[in-house]
Amino acid sequence: MSVALENLPYLLRGAGMTVLLSVAAAVPATLAGLCMALARRRTPWLGSLLDGWLFLMRGIPLIVLLVFVYFLLPRTGLDLPPFWGVTLVLAAYYAAFMSEVFRAGFDALPNAQWEAGRSLGLSEPLLLFHVIGPQALRVALPAHLNLCASLIKGTSLASVIGLWELTLASLEVVERTLAPFPIFLSAAGIYFTICFALDRLARRLEVANG
Amino acid sequence: MAEPMLRLDSIEKRFGEVDILRGVSLDVQRGEAVVLIGPSGSGKTTLLRCINMLEDYHAGSVSLDGAPVGYRLEGRERIRMRDSELAAVRADIGIVFQSYNLFPHMTVLANIMLAPMKVRKLSRDEAEARARDLLLLMGLADKADLHPAQLSGGQQQRVAIARALAMRPKIMLFDEVTSALDPERVAEVLTAMRQLASEGMTMVVVTHEMAFARDVADRVVFMEGGLIVEQGPPQQLFGNPAAERTRQFLGRFMNAEGRTCG
Repeated sequence: MSVALENLPYLLRGAGMTVLLSVAAAVPATLAGLCMALARRRTPWLGSLLDGWLFLMRGIPLIVLLVFVYFLLPRTGLDLPPFWGVTLVLAAYYAAFMSEVFRAGFDALPNAQWEAGRSLGLSEPLLLFHVIGPQALRVALPAHLNLCASLIKGTSLASVIGLWELTLASLEVVERTLAPFPIFLSAAGIYFTICFALDRLARRLEVANG
Repeated sequence: MAEPMLRLDSIEKRFGEVDILRGVSLDVQRGEAVVLIGPSGSGKTTLLRCINMLEDYHAGSVSLDGAPVGYRLEGRERIRMRDSELAAVRADIGIVFQSYNLFPHMTVLANIMLAPMKVRKLSRDEAEARARDLLLLMGLADKADLHPAQLSGGQQQRVAIARALAMRPKIMLFDEVTSALDPERVAEVLTAMRQLASEGMTMVVVTHEMAFARDVADRVVFMEGGLIVEQGPPQQLFGNPAAERTRQFLGRFMNAEGRTCG
């Protein structure tokens, strides 16, 4: 186990990158998912467009998408650094699923809540912010949390296109030390800890709001 | 006669192929309590919901205190109001629903304070003072910090009335507000409504509570098939209805009254 301990600082630096990548992708994915869920309520034709996108994302493995964008992007003349390329793919991929989660949250509320708010003279933004949003988000939170955990683990695929993060760092250490078991066990422990911490944080937020 | 508080002029409403309202006109004077009665499917709830545009109507016009609700007429064209205009008009129309529709994630107090603060721009202190006064009026002063789920149906419905009143509406609409309550709770809600009527609030009430209609209404309107069949003071409508259909509808009620009173 001393191999694992010796290399822990290196792995933790990789984990730092994993967290950075996760936050950079999860924040825009969440915001975009929320906007899309709201937009499709008002604009029906947008619904079929978003459905098409969702089907596409649902049917393509994330790793295929990552590799595809990695090779395609330079050809379009858009030369994004790998970090931003991966962030873009992760955000676009998970935004599609998050929009579904938020849509389910909005749909779970009875129409009567909208009617009660409207009949008090609340404008749509006020109604969304004070009445519909807090209730819909509470419904959507557990599923959203699952997607965030999935996204965090999904960042490990970035190692395939050479973006240095926890998984690539582990692979490097294993190559050097020829000790795959303790190193990958450490990596697994770190991933678990990140996801577990997120879960605890979200539950605390839930309690604070409830 | 003075301009009515509410004027409904030839309201028509369809759901698909079905005519729900077939040209209903009704004036409600300031301070008047009008009770709409009629069999299920007669269009009374739909009519009530057209007053604040929770239901769109296909023809006719609604005006509150002389100002149009829902549609403006420009020449011969009906222009639907923008959402923001509609919100401003709705702020003056209080409505209480059968299923209370309180906001479950807020306390009783927050339910009542939200719209006065956000729409009427009252300060937090003003809104809270107003909310506590109304809770006192409704006999719920000690419930301010509870959530709706912690209250009985009758208490929730009285909070809903307080929430609507906190906007100081020009008119109050009640849509079968006692239908979801058990008989013991019905009385406490009806008492609150009686009090409002006696204080001169303009009210339109859809109800199956005939005793309430008889005692509180200034005018009872009997609807069927999307039309007003007959209307008049309660003594006339309940005592000597002109239309055979009204007589038929009220028959059971009048017989029951006869037995208990006579």
